[in-house]
Amino acid sequence: MSNSENEVKMQNLSVEYRLGEAYIPFQSYGKIFDPRTALMNGTLFPELYRPYRVRAEL
Amino acid sequence: MYSKDMVDLLKEIMAVDFVVYELALFLDTHPNDRRALEDHNNFAMKSRQLREMFERKYGPLILDSVSEFPYQYINNPWPWEIRY
Repeated sequence: MSNSENEVKMQNLSVEYRLGEAYIPFQSYGKIFDPRTALMNGTLFPELYRPYRVRAEL
Repeated sequence: MYSKDMVDLLKEIMAVDFVVYELALFLDTHPNDRRALEDHNNFAMKSRQLREMFERKYGPLILDSVSEFPYQYINNPWPWEIRY
């Protein structure tokens, strides 16, 4: 999309977007999954295991 | 063609290797984390032991594996032939 189209879209949304800042807390070494669980969960770290849950229809 | 024991051992190797990779990546950004390094070294040794155990029983596992004559690597079931 060219810039002007962008601006038009922004005005239509009438929402004032501000630039975001990402902050990622430094991970510390805590508990870890056992190997088989880690492999199945796709991560060694319980704090990073957040699968998408199936939710009821909105 | 291949035994259940072999598949179980393969799964164990895959799981332990995954942990070694995860810990190595973690240590990239946390080189001073002593406990993570201890776990990494333990799992790396475990991975080597498992691989040696596998190869004693079932022959070469990966390209770097030493093989008896004739070349054994091609005889193993290929990964896509195995029902995990």
